[in-house]
Amino acid sequence: MPERLILCVGTKKGLFVAEAPRTRRKFTLRGPFGSGVAVYAALIDRRGTPRLYASSCNAFFGMKVLRSTDLGKTFKETKSAPAFPKEDGRALANIWSLEAGGGKKDLWCGVEPASLFRSSDGGDSWEMVSGISNHEHARKWQPGNGGLCMHTILRDGNRVHLGISTGGHYLSEDGGATFTASNQGIGAGFVPDPYPEFGQCVHKIAGHKDAPGRLYIQNHGGWPDRPGIGVLRSDDYGHTWRSIADGLPSDFGFPIVVHPHDADTVYVMPLEPATRTCPGGSPAVWRSEDGGESWRRLARGLPKKESFFTIQRDAMDIDQLKSPALYFGTTTGQLWIGRDGGEEWECLFESLPPIHCVKAAVV
Amino acid sequence: MSGDTAVTIQVPGALRDCCGGALQVLLSASNVRAALEELERRHPSLYRSVCDETGTVRRHVNLFVNTSNVRDREGLDTALAPGDVVTILPAISGG
Repeated sequence: MPERLILCVGTKKGLFVAEAPRTRRKFTLRGPFGSGVAVYAALIDRRGTPRLYASSCNAFFGMKVLRSTDLGKTFKETKSAPAFPKEDGRALANIWSLEAGGGKKDLWCGVEPASLFRSSDGGDSWEMVSGISNHEHARKWQPGNGGLCMHTILRDGNRVHLGISTGGHYLSEDGGATFTASNQGIGAGFVPDPYPEFGQCVHKIAGHKDAPGRLYIQNHGGWPDRPGIGVLRSDDYGHTWRSIADGLPSDFGFPIVVHPHDADTVYVMPLEPATRTCPGGSPAVWRSEDGGESWRRLARGLPKKESFFTIQRDAMDIDQLKSPALYFGTTTGQLWIGRDGGEEWECLFESLPPIHCVKAAVV
Repeated sequence: MSGDTAVTIQVPGALRDCCGGALQVLLSASNVRAALEELERRHPSLYRSVCDETGTVRRHVNLFVNTSNVRDREGLDTALAPGDVVTILPAISGG
């Protein structure tokens, strides 16, 4: 079967799946799946026979995990969703991240309140990862505006990076058995200590599989008294971080995405901190091709004025084709494609529900 | 099931997939808490949709014994009499 491009679009009203041939000329849309229920996390698992996963965050009846084995034509609930042990005292409030693990059916799942779960059977059963979920800091983390969420899970062999809002960046170097707060250089604008050991409001972390020492963070910036803490880079596997925000119109934002074939090329969507919308009502993605030393505005085809949407932390992704396309979804329900690495933008779907997450993959 | 404590659990449409499509579950229980414990044994997915991991009834789920919301009675300790109907309903949503 020829390869095709799949987009998973998690919205306030369920999951949509868009499909296109590799040319990306025309996308067809399916869904909503898990109709009427918010989807904050999705995973296109390309290992073996592709599987699609999505969280389904039902305000009435609790959390579910949806799974598709036919590229998003149908979805079924897995046999169970992550759940805290009865004696723990915490209750699952949301599912924020789903990532593939090491084994063929291994999955990792980050939840709210910030905790980590693993499955070894494709999501049918789950076990809490105690090393972070019961970390000595865990009961001291505070919820950000979106809730106390574990939104990023990045794996590189025995290294595991976690992003927690507000908890900061946590690093394991033993496959997830133990974790250490690794926030040197990551600032916070909402506590007296500008560089605390933990408790930062990290919005998203991105890495590159071929350059695992290089990582980027979109942190909660936008603080007049503490400029430049919003966009950061690490060159030592996340042990230390430095600002790369110079040249951006705002260091506040949510998503951060790395080019699939070049670890020096990174994309952000600067937002005004007060409104969480693009500066001047004129949306633009900003790209650096030198690891954040300089930035260029990419806005051809995007609205030039009077656009006041937000792009949430997981609502931007990039595909893996030779000349990759970027995708972002808005809180006003538009799904955009930025062809040729974001040089030329086009709105694929104009009236979806508010978009929480976008995942792209060639399968 | 003991006949003198038999009660009926009415399952809303949105949750019938959790119990093989059944509209009702018949069981024996002396109060609502015991009824939920029996549901957890028989239909764990249905139970988990009604209660979270701590055993608390989910915020947007209401349980009625006949026509009374258990929140207006003794909560999970509300006693059940033979023939009572416990109805699971999602709370009102929308404007």
